[in-house]
Amino acid sequence: MGQKPDKGEVEDLTKEFIAESQEGLERMELCLTQLEKKPDDEELVAEIFRAVHTIKGTTGFLGFSRLERLAHAGESLLGALRDHRLAVCTELISGLLELMDGLRGILHIIEATGTEGERTKDNDNALIARLLELRDRGSSMKAVPASQNQAPLDKLRAGSSTSSGQVAQHPSQSSDHDAVLSALPAAAPGVAMAAAPSMQDKTLRIDVEVLNRIMNLVGDLVLTRNQILRCSPGEQNFPELARRLDSVTAELRESVMQARMQPMGYLFRKFPRLVRDLAATCGRQVRIEFEGQETGLDKSLLEAVRDPLTHAVRNAVDHGIEPPQERIKAGKPVEGVVRMRAYHQSGSVVIEVIDDGAGISTERVLVKAIERGLVTPEQAASMTQREALQLIFVSGISTAKQVTSISGRGMGMDVVRTNVEKVGGSVELESRLGSGTTLRMRVPLTLAIIPALVVRSGGESFALPQNSLVELVYVTQHEAEHAVERMGTTELYRLRKSLLQLVWLDRLLGLEHCADAERHDFYIAVVESEGRRFGLVVDDLKAPEEIVVKPLSAELREIGVFSGATVLGNGTLALILDVAATGARAGVRPEAEEGTVVDAKPAEDETAQIELVNAMVIYETGQHQSAQGGDGGRMAMPLSAVERIESVPLSEIEYAGGRAVLQYRGELIPLEDDGNLLRALAEAEATASPGDARKDGATATVLICLRPEANGARRVGMVVRRVLDVSAGRLLAADAAASQEQLAMVRNRVTTVHREFAQHAGNPQTAILKEVA
Amino acid sequence: MRSAEVKEADAGDAVPICSLRVGSRLYGIETRQIREVLGTTAPRRVPLAPQYIAGVLPYRGEVLTTVSFRALLGLEKRDGANCVLVFDDEENEDRFGLMVDGVAGVIAVQQDALEANPSGLDERSQEIFDGAYKLPSGLMVRLDPQRLRPSRLAESGLFGSESGPHERLKQVRQGGQS
Repeated sequence: MGQKPDKGEVEDLTKEFIAESQEGLERMELCLTQLEKKPDDEELVAEIFRAVHTIKGTTGFLGFSRLERLAHAGESLLGALRDHRLAVCTELISGLLELMDGLRGILHIIEATGTEGERTKDNDNALIARLLELRDRGSSMKAVPASQNQAPLDKLRAGSSTSSGQVAQHPSQSSDHDAVLSALPAAAPGVAMAAAPSMQDKTLRIDVEVLNRIMNLVGDLVLTRNQILRCSPGEQNFPELARRLDSVTAELRESVMQARMQPMGYLFRKFPRLVRDLAATCGRQVRIEFEGQETGLDKSLLEAVRDPLTHAVRNAVDHGIEPPQERIKAGKPVEGVVRMRAYHQSGSVVIEVIDDGAGISTERVLVKAIERGLVTPEQAASMTQREALQLIFVSGISTAKQVTSISGRGMGMDVVRTNVEKVGGSVELESRLGSGTTLRMRVPLTLAIIPALVVRSGGESFALPQNSLVELVYVTQHEAEHAVERMGTTELYRLRKSLLQLVWLDRLLGLEHCADAERHDFYIAVVESEGRRFGLVVDDLKAPEEIVVKPLSAELREIGVFSGATVLGNGTLALILDVAATGARAGVRPEAEEGTVVDAKPAEDETAQIELVNAMVIYETGQHQSAQGGDGGRMAMPLSAVERIESVPLSEIEYAGGRAVLQYRGELIPLEDDGNLLRALAEAEATASPGDARKDGATATVLICLRPEANGARRVGMVVRRVLDVSAGRLLAADAAASQEQLAMVRNRVTTVHREFAQHAGNPQTAILKEVA
Repeated sequence: MRSAEVKEADAGDAVPICSLRVGSRLYGIETRQIREVLGTTAPRRVPLAPQYIAGVLPYRGEVLTTVSFRALLGLEKRDGANCVLVFDDEENEDRFGLMVDGVAGVIAVQQDALEANPSGLDERSQEIFDGAYKLPSGLMVRLDPQRLRPSRLAESGLFGSESGPHERLKQVRQGGQS
């Protein structure tokens, strides 16, 4: 009952129960929206049933009778559904969603006060009665349009969290049953989201295996410490011990960081429901699609982008997507698409909310901005479309109702920006009138580990994120004088017949050391980010390192060129270069503006659609060797799937049950050797004459890849003849007439993409989980 | 909040003040406002940063932005030993450092020896100084760490404008062209 449970054990149990139940309800939410699309899916029904059943079972034990009664009513309704005594209809889904909100509301009250707020019992009765009625009525009833039920719910949810908070605190004050009935459940999600440290923010689910790995590493650490304690400084094996300590700490650090990483999918889960409700309220037909759900983001950041994302999606549905009639008039499919996409780029996580709605008229934004005195007409005239769009984020404009009504966007965009900037991120907007809007949030991977190359320039170290690095060119002292050519003030380098604009890092940053750099040797790091490709000239290269990204304070972020700082192996700090911003600062123009706005073209174009993909690793397999005369098969693998390229001595490759396996970071990974390269290498080693490099020292090149599987991803090693290149390629959408193979255009040659990893390359059919909202 | 507490305190109470050396002058900060004093360190310079930023330091797993007090006073850079004091940035729930020449020691000062900034003080000093203690040996300028937060210094726009990133970049570009 409403009595406060005893301290200690019961309190712990309650906490655990709340966290578990909230997770269950989250799954239930997702399943419910899916169920509407696939009413016959028994798995989904079973999953929902389980969630409610678990809550009911545990509440009885903990003595939350109010919760138990509600859960019981829900369970009996779900039981009818499971036994096919009922069919899925909109009304049923709405009822179940209400049940879920009701459960959430009570859970929240329990979390806040320790009791379940007994006084609102009448409202539960109304909801319970409704659930029972639904159960008894069966599927024969004509469903009440969902929008009518949802309207008050959404109005309340759209309202700020303060009003929801009040409802939760004084659940009994309003005697108007209907109002409370819809207000209480509606309030719950809002509160759970806004009330700062809610139970969900404080708990984290970790794979036991990860925890075991951490524990093993700690064990190692203790052992190493013991050895160091016993050993005197002059002893010979001291360097070795230091090295071991170093590697153990590095691995431990990495494991802990990875444990903190959560897939974006956790965040995406709640959006199908949000879009469903919102679309119903606004009279739109909207489908939501996700991409990159596996993209990892630090737990704390995940929470930080939750609200801005909600805002963005709400905007996209409410103001972006047009009403059905308008869409038909514009020749678009009636159903609008909101796509949420997440991916890693340059040491940050990029989250995009893309809609195929009406877009924003920059002219009107500018007119409004001039009216409000934010820009002068002259400034407005010289503004690019991109710059003009960013005006929407200026608070003066975005909060103004007038702009909202004419541009269709802008409500609260300054809030989105402030929230994202608070965690060191940035927001930008892209829009094409008539074809849609893309909101792009860039959140730093704070705490995250990224591979980077440490470079020296002007006597200082900088870290260059590997994912923007295309290649490195060494220019010797001898070549240096002639290597750099000039056109006007722009310095260029001829890289394989094309001209590459050069940016001298030391000069750009105003470092003292910039004397005649051309007189001695230097390196050109060919980098590419956000469409800007240029050669960054540095004095020297240091080792590649996996660096921990630390955020800079706001004043230093403002400089723009640095995305963070990191502590290098030697204990000194290095600044991490933001490649795109560096290029922009040096005046490098993006080569081509690639549209990321969802294509609103008719469906028949889709077969010809060419999907842009990230970089590909091109390698030679052992296959077709005889057929093509020693050239080997040319294959491509999306770079995102390749974790590492290792050169493995043959002696380290072991065989288990006829299968080649490799011990890699304490894990046994299978090796795939399609072309029997290992045998060929072993034979070459055996027959090589003594003194030959191949004798006893033969190595195989192995791509350590992450293979997507049903439950996450597994590491697998691909034995290849050699790695040819890393280059940007475009995936050619599968042509129905062509073979099963996924082809890509890389460096103007058609290359086969390894079949199992093709979906890593952003294959639209497999990578996007489609949800109908 | 803290200054309010100070005012509430009995005017006759003695407060421990940490005295700092910068150039030939002494400055004072209440010890309870100081989080930590780091010995000689060399902050990592940040190119293109405002002049009053001495650089960044690794501190407790975070990157500490450090303000150079010499630069705030318009003094030349100096080589040799220095000292970094760590403060809490109350507004941004962050920390920042202040680089000074050295820490002289801790003295107890009566609260009623404190006098507010004189109105004739120039704008910059008005911004960074927080009154002065009338000590028998001379005046000791009181500093309020919250006034020296990097974010506040950036907002004031009084410091480092002549060496802001844009101007420096312009110089660099011109240099590159010649």
